[in-house]
Amino acid sequence: MFRIALKGIVGRKARLILTSLAVILGTSFLAGTSVFSDTLTRTFDNLFSDVFKNVDAYVRSSQVIEADFGLEERQRISIDLVSVVENVPGVRDASPDIQAFARIIGKDGKPLGSDGQGPPTFGSIGEEFAGALWTVADGKWATASNEVVIDEASAKAGKYVVGDTVKVVAQSGSRDFTLVGIASYGDVRSPGGATFALFDSATASEFLTKPGFIDAILVSGDGSVSDTKLSAAIQAVIPATAKTETLTGAQITLETQDQIGSALDFFGILLQTFSFIALGVGCFVIYNVFSISAAQRQRENALLRAIGASRKQVTRAMLIESVAVGLVGSTIGLVAGIGLSSGLSALLKALNVDIPSSGLVVNQGTIVSTIVIGLVVTVLSAILPARRAGKVPPLAAMRATALEIAEPGRKRLYGGLLSIALGIAIISAVIGGANNSYLGFGILFVFIGTIVLGPIIARPVALFLGRPAARFRGITGVMARQNSARNPKRTSRTASPVLIGVALVTAVTALAASIKGQINDVFTEQFKGDYAVTTNNQFTGGLSPSLALDLNKLPEVDKASGIGLITVKLNNNGQYFTTIDPGTVEGVFDLGLINAKYSDLTPDSIFLAESYSLRKNLPIGSNVTITLGDATQRELTVRGLYKFDELAGNFVVNRAMIANSAVVNFDIGVYIVGKNGVPDGEVQAALDKAVKKYGQGELLSKAEYIDKQSGQVNQLLGLIYGLLMLSIIIAFVGIIITLLLSVFERQRELALLRAVGMTRSQVRTTVRWESVITSLLGAVLGIILGIGLGWVIVFALKDQGLTSFKLPVGPTIVIMVMSFIVGLFAAIYPAWRATRVNILDALNTN
Amino acid sequence: MTPQTLAVAASTISASKIYGSGEDAVYALNDVSVEFYEGQFTAIMGPSGSGKSTLMHCIAGLDELTKGSAIIDGVDLSTMKDKGLTELRREKIGFVFQSFNLVPTLTANENIRLPLMLGNDKGDEAWIQNVINTVHLQDRLTHRPSELSGGQQQRVAVARALASKPRIIFADEPTGNLDSTTGAEILSFMRKAVDELGQTIVMVTHDPVAAAYADRIIFLADGKVVSEMTEPTSGKVLDLMKTLGN
Repeated sequence: MFRIALKGIVGRKARLILTSLAVILGTSFLAGTSVFSDTLTRTFDNLFSDVFKNVDAYVRSSQVIEADFGLEERQRISIDLVSVVENVPGVRDASPDIQAFARIIGKDGKPLGSDGQGPPTFGSIGEEFAGALWTVADGKWATASNEVVIDEASAKAGKYVVGDTVKVVAQSGSRDFTLVGIASYGDVRSPGGATFALFDSATASEFLTKPGFIDAILVSGDGSVSDTKLSAAIQAVIPATAKTETLTGAQITLETQDQIGSALDFFGILLQTFSFIALGVGCFVIYNVFSISAAQRQRENALLRAIGASRKQVTRAMLIESVAVGLVGSTIGLVAGIGLSSGLSALLKALNVDIPSSGLVVNQGTIVSTIVIGLVVTVLSAILPARRAGKVPPLAAMRATALEIAEPGRKRLYGGLLSIALGIAIISAVIGGANNSYLGFGILFVFIGTIVLGPIIARPVALFLGRPAARFRGITGVMARQNSARNPKRTSRTASPVLIGVALVTAVTALAASIKGQINDVFTEQFKGDYAVTTNNQFTGGLSPSLALDLNKLPEVDKASGIGLITVKLNNNGQYFTTIDPGTVEGVFDLGLINAKYSDLTPDSIFLAESYSLRKNLPIGSNVTITLGDATQRELTVRGLYKFDELAGNFVVNRAMIANSAVVNFDIGVYIVGKNGVPDGEVQAALDKAVKKYGQGELLSKAEYIDKQSGQVNQLLGLIYGLLMLSIIIAFVGIIITLLLSVFERQRELALLRAVGMTRSQVRTTVRWESVITSLLGAVLGIILGIGLGWVIVFALKDQGLTSFKLPVGPTIVIMVMSFIVGLFAAIYPAWRATRVNILDALNTN
Repeated sequence: MTPQTLAVAASTISASKIYGSGEDAVYALNDVSVEFYEGQFTAIMGPSGSGKSTLMHCIAGLDELTKGSAIIDGVDLSTMKDKGLTELRREKIGFVFQSFNLVPTLTANENIRLPLMLGNDKGDEAWIQNVINTVHLQDRLTHRPSELSGGQQQRVAVARALASKPRIIFADEPTGNLDSTTGAEILSFMRKAVDELGQTIVMVTHDPVAAAYADRIIFLADGKVVSEMTEPTSGKVLDLMKTLGN
């Protein structure tokens, strides 16, 4: 039997290739994403072990506030500690370190590097240090307060040469420097595509952060003691009041790698999730191919049974075939996946992300899991068709069976309905207040139910969708319509991958539309200005607080008010506090104050969101104690409550509260109202000029500003669309494969049609419309399911402030049109094959 | 009626169909010149491998001759491309095959009108109704092939062949898959189509009883016309076959 199975495989190479195709696609995405994320992780690991290669000890503040999104704000330490550390026995050299926001402005006035997205822009210290990785390639290190050194990549991008004047923007404002040197980093021109402006330590401290403060001290030992002992010795010398901690070089390397690693892990998990979805979609295609091939081989299998093969043997032969397909497919998939990931890496290079290449990382785990998963998925998908093949009665060999007629059974109807009912019940329970985490199960049951019901739904829906084709395309349309409905099981199995892909795309689109709608509503309600200055650098820095003050002085401006964000510790939890200027905020940014005036917000006061105040039982008049980033404490009195917490969050304080602290102070936005009677053009020109002086921040009109907020959703949407493309591609290939197999199966019918006068172009039309109807069937069901899914998710997110569901009408139409086009394209090759049917050969096969 | 007074519906002139070349060449048809007359029921007979099916396929535009020409309605088929041949089959030729004559997804009515519909042609409705009545299919029109008996299926096939009023109908062993009673029924319909509707039919068969329904029989052996018979009976056919067999 084994030999018969193998002969069967070799004898039908076309079928082997078609079946393998689905496996290859599914596993190649899996392997590709896995290799890609392993490679990225390795690359960054190498990068950071390089960064701290010559650092034996690392001194930093022990004061840190950890807040949401995994961000932390660590306090700075005094620059005076450097000389203390330098004198510790075993220390060869110690260097202050700062890593802060700074942007180099190009000769054309435009900042170098991207704003917020892509590699960051840094200001740092560049000095003679034994452990330094920066080397001056041209010129010298900066030694005076008006000197700067920039990285080689930026110098090239900005066409700067030593001696030029370079404008640099930092937290404290913008300033002109003389370029005294161009530095390179190890053997790359700049690490990871970031831009760097390097200063001497005094200038860096004063210009980039606060005078006298630095982020950390890098220590290089003389080798006389171990890193651990050296760190302990340093820590022992520094006074406890300085609140520092000292890490060994290995520790800081590991910590940084872990931080990057967890960010990359998230990215990797995202990629893997979508490649598993793609693989799941691929299962349908594999299952479909095996089912069709079992049906087509019915007589062959019956003959085997008639001459004495047992059921088991027939089933086993088919399973052996699936093992071969699984192995071949996933091995090719693995190779293709490796190719795919090097393509992704090349894409990154093309996007100018200059990461030191360490070659593709193909872990053993990737190899094993790709092949095992590919094999298991293939064999599992083949089990049902193989069992069905075994059940063929020997008599079927004698009967002429032209069609795989399969009437969907009662069991299917009840099973499908039950699953959907169960899913809906779970979803209703969640809507009724049960835990959101059950939602996934509810959705899963609805999906399973829909797919189980597929064969029952497929016939009427396909006939309905095929109506226009039958109406306007004459007999070819009639036949296409009938063909798409003739085997509902096959049609629904072909449409299922489309259904899943479209449902996910629709759900994500609906979710995005709702979020965008919400953003639009919130900003329209709360942002009252005519203009806004924003920055994308919300977390690594922001707008200088003096920008708002400067803008306020412009004669064309009525009011300009800066909105800032600080990290604060409240009850030992990191929280974001919004800082406002009560003097200018009124009529610019609306909090929806309840029984309070903005002037109530004195520096020792706090406004709370109404919902937070109720939840935490903090009424007006009560006190809260907070710890600022510089480890100082403040006692604040609740002097007002507000309704609109979507933008401001739960806490609003007066920006004057932190005026005389060491807390990093910057604005994330400045909202502006123009003076009455001054034409818009003039206001805009005046603002533009003032903002340009800072070399940072982007001036936007109200409409532009609101658009930009929802534009961020589009970026995420684009990423998810890209990942869902994997599933769509597999669905597309699935249609091609099924159509091809159907065309092979209907050779005699096609021959008959050709004999009685069907032209080649009519044959093509028939296949094409069948394909379009199948694709639309998946799309229509997918859209219905997707909209439902989107609604449910939006509902589940109501606690996150998402209140209104918006139907994505435009995108839905686009999805329908795309499905139509996918159907047309999928039919090209099968339709061509259908026209090549040899009439005589097919008619003579009896 | 003598052949001389009848118009020619289709003919071949020195038709040869050769597979392979040189010494290995096999002649499926070897220099065959025949004429099929309008309004006649002609049968082509011969043992397996005699070339009778090949001859029919070549005249019907389903296969190409290696040498010589096949002519239908005055047109030499070798000058036509696929599109022309397809249109010719649709408009001037009717087919009845041994089995798998019908498109399973279409109703009997749609199957009958299939060639007309493919040509976007409404056809002659009175004629079509006449055909349907002749083959007694009035109450089977909405059924699909799977709901029809073998005999009914062949009747639908005959009706389809007649529906477009073709110049000539080719039938390839139309009763080969039927029992003798049903077969006789189909053959009488074909006879009726010739006598009452004035059709031209060419039928390939190896069954002397079926051939006896024809006006004229052409005998083929080894790719050549070896004999001809008019006004045949099954007895006469059997006798001739015996002599040919020797």
